[in-house]
Amino acid sequence: MTEIADPSALAGRPARAPRRSPTDLPFTFVDHGLVEALAAGRLEPAWLLEDRLAALALFEALPVEGSQLYTPYVDLRAASLEGAAPYTMTGSAGATTAQGLPDGVAGLLDLREDGVAVVAISDAARTAGVRLVTLGELVATDDTLARELLAGGSLVPVDEKLAQLSRAAWSQGVLVSVPAGVRLEQPIVVRWAVGAPRTMIGRTLIVLGDGAEASVVEEIVTSDVVVPGAQALLCATTEIRLGAHARLAMASLQETGPDQIVFQQRRADIGEAADLRWALAQLGARLVRSRVDNVLAGDRSTVEQTEIVFGSDEQFHDLTSYTRHVGRDTTGQLLSKGVLMDRARTYMKGLIQIEKTAIGTDSFLGEFGMNLSKAARAVAIPSLEIDQPDCRRAAHSSSVGPIDETQLFYLESRGIPPDDARKFIVLGFLEPVVARVPLAEAQDRLREALEAKWDAGAAAAGAASAA
Amino acid sequence: MTSTRDLVQDERDQYAFHDDIVYLAQTKRGLTRDTVEEISRFKDEPDWMLQYRLRAYEHFLKRKMPTWGGRLADIDLDKIVYYRKPSEREEKSWDDVPEKIKATFEKLGIPEAERKFLAGVGAQYDSEVVYHSVREELTKIGVVFMGTDQALKEYPEIFRTYFGTVVPAEDNKFAALNAAVWSGGSFVYVPKGVEVPLPLQAYFRINGENTGQFERTLIVVDEGAKVHYIEGCTAPIYATDSLHAAVVEVVALAGSKVRYTTIQNWSNDVYNLVTKRAHAYANSHVEWIDANTGSRLTMKYPAIYLRGEGASADVISVAVAGRGQHQDTGAKAVHLAPNTTSRIVSKSVSKDGGRATYRGQLKVAPGATGVTASVRCDALMLDDQSRSDTYPYIDIQEDDTTMTHEATVGKVSAEQVFYLMSRGLTENEATNLIVQGFLEVFTKELPMEYAIEFNRLVKLEMEGSLG
Repeated sequence: MTEIADPSALAGRPARAPRRSPTDLPFTFVDHGLVEALAAGRLEPAWLLEDRLAALALFEALPVEGSQLYTPYVDLRAASLEGAAPYTMTGSAGATTAQGLPDGVAGLLDLREDGVAVVAISDAARTAGVRLVTLGELVATDDTLARELLAGGSLVPVDEKLAQLSRAAWSQGVLVSVPAGVRLEQPIVVRWAVGAPRTMIGRTLIVLGDGAEASVVEEIVTSDVVVPGAQALLCATTEIRLGAHARLAMASLQETGPDQIVFQQRRADIGEAADLRWALAQLGARLVRSRVDNVLAGDRSTVEQTEIVFGSDEQFHDLTSYTRHVGRDTTGQLLSKGVLMDRARTYMKGLIQIEKTAIGTDSFLGEFGMNLSKAARAVAIPSLEIDQPDCRRAAHSSSVGPIDETQLFYLESRGIPPDDARKFIVLGFLEPVVARVPLAEAQDRLREALEAKWDAGAAAAGAASAA
Repeated sequence: MTSTRDLVQDERDQYAFHDDIVYLAQTKRGLTRDTVEEISRFKDEPDWMLQYRLRAYEHFLKRKMPTWGGRLADIDLDKIVYYRKPSEREEKSWDDVPEKIKATFEKLGIPEAERKFLAGVGAQYDSEVVYHSVREELTKIGVVFMGTDQALKEYPEIFRTYFGTVVPAEDNKFAALNAAVWSGGSFVYVPKGVEVPLPLQAYFRINGENTGQFERTLIVVDEGAKVHYIEGCTAPIYATDSLHAAVVEVVALAGSKVRYTTIQNWSNDVYNLVTKRAHAYANSHVEWIDANTGSRLTMKYPAIYLRGEGASADVISVAVAGRGQHQDTGAKAVHLAPNTTSRIVSKSVSKDGGRATYRGQLKVAPGATGVTASVRCDALMLDDQSRSDTYPYIDIQEDDTTMTHEATVGKVSAEQVFYLMSRGLTENEATNLIVQGFLEVFTKELPMEYAIEFNRLVKLEMEGSLG
């Protein structure tokens, strides 16, 4: 394994960096040199280097926030990643077998900053034609499909700087593909683990053929490589293509440590009568900047997106979703909920766009915040841009408030102690996303993580009030 | 046979007139430091005002054009006449107003309105207040209602205490422009405990091609006092663009009540870029009642800064965007003190390719505990060439805020139209009635005469769409 951490790159810099503006990137290591080194180290074909360089040009040209609506709300100052350069070569796992596959799971791909820990797929899934491979493997073994999926930028939004960063400099990647008509009963698990002071840049491609059904659980965690006081970065895309009548349940649980920076860009193109269900949970990290683009291209396509944030300490979760209705009679149902303790900040920004072609749209966006501390800050910007009035529904709703006193009173009147009552209400507020995680084991773990986070916060609050 | 449409056209023509006025003094086209000095010299102002104007001018030069909101690229700042004075001195009574100008106001119906029940008239013709009558009763109870220029001379102390404190010259590019070249507008001072029994009204008109109108209104309502101020505008139609950049400052001292009503009906070549803001002190109540039917582009977000405990605010904002129009309007409530309340209701109608945008901000600053806030936005689209957008910004930094926001977009329901047609109405009449009903939340807050006029304006807008 080689790495590109090059101290000379930093030599020309002044001893004390000037005060950073909120939109300054927290690193300078993504450049032509890094991209060339990645392509060379991985022995990639020329077309892929070309694609990476095209993305690099976009990355360099674009502002961090492309939408005028949100420019005042960019703040990357919590991140400091100068010393966290990515690896340019990563190790790969052995042959893909059913070895090491947990119960109840159809496939597992476990990625670390420096390599692939596990790739495993059940015999049943393999026989059905399901593929679970790293992108490196795909490029090496199936140039035609790799080109089809990656060349020209795939689904990476052309106006998103951080997505173009992933496209330019990815070192890890996953392809999940399910052939037409195949229904995968058990979920596929993809795990991303990175520790400080490292950067992992990756891509996840999910392709479902016509009538295919699948579920994917993504886990984002901190690896065991951790240098105290240093930060780590995960910058990753998720690119989803759903064929006609395909159904995908996609869950993502982000439970990294307090020194983690996470940049996520997800985009789904949803075909005719296809159905996508997102369950997104943000618990960890110091700073998260996430964007989801749902493109309801096919007639009668639907998307349901349920997203929760549980923030504490200095955590800052900056979440944006775009729902674009293009086909006829499409449905969007988006729900974001945030619970904020301590000095946590959560920005929930959502835009519903109904294009002229999107007759019969039903679209709803809800953003709800619960501030549990005086220093917490919740920002909700639920927006609508509508070019076609012939809608079934186009609405958004948002609210921010404290714990509901009437609910509290009701529970207390039933003999539940106040602290327990508060806990029930908060966990109940966040439960919708838990219920939508398509893997029982992951559901349990998420519930435990939420509870542990509440207990830690309550304990800290108790200690503070006792002091 | 005279069709209904011709009658409507006639009625419309009544508002689209332009009298040939001999201007006694006007500045050259374009804005330079000399223009600013010249304006101040014309007005024989104290030095501090000249210095204030010059500082604002410098800031205007430095400030970039806003890149959000509507299209401002077509404004040619060099073509505008920044000051013109239609007659030498301010007139005290109606009889002294020049005949030509009086004829214009006749068409607008001001004298009738005054005779009936309106308390005072501050009528602005081009850039100067030419006519100002204050009823004796008002003078008796100590209410000051006069042109802003006159107030600078006659009430220098109150003027200097409050001028520019609510909207600083540095607030935004167009507030800076106004501060540099302001002329005309109304000044109102209501002494402690005085309730002004009837609405004060001012009619504004732009006349003269490319005449900028930069009026400056300052309303100071002392403790426990109460006033309702009304402004309405009509303007002649011209082929090239006109700019209207007004600033309105309202100071609502402890326990006072202020209502500010606007009916904006500029001709469709006017850029209406207005900064309106109120400071609401303890237990005061401020209302912005704002309607926008005219102009090419309006960017206006009446704001209330709730600075004193127990202050409350209501904003009712309606907009009608027809062919070639963009109404980018909304409201802003900034809660800076405990137990403050705000309620924002916005209604917009877009048709014939017009674009109606709601843009609002709701902010609860740290320390502002016990805040209750609500925002409600409804949009009606009458055809699929039109566009409707909703961009609410909600930023809550306190844990016991109760905030709700709702927005819906829809079209006129076919069932309602069918029902009304079954009762003998034509389709146009039915649609017109539904639109008027939709906007009723605004209309019902108006004095009767204004309500009639507003309904007529809406009807004209609606009829215009049938051609």
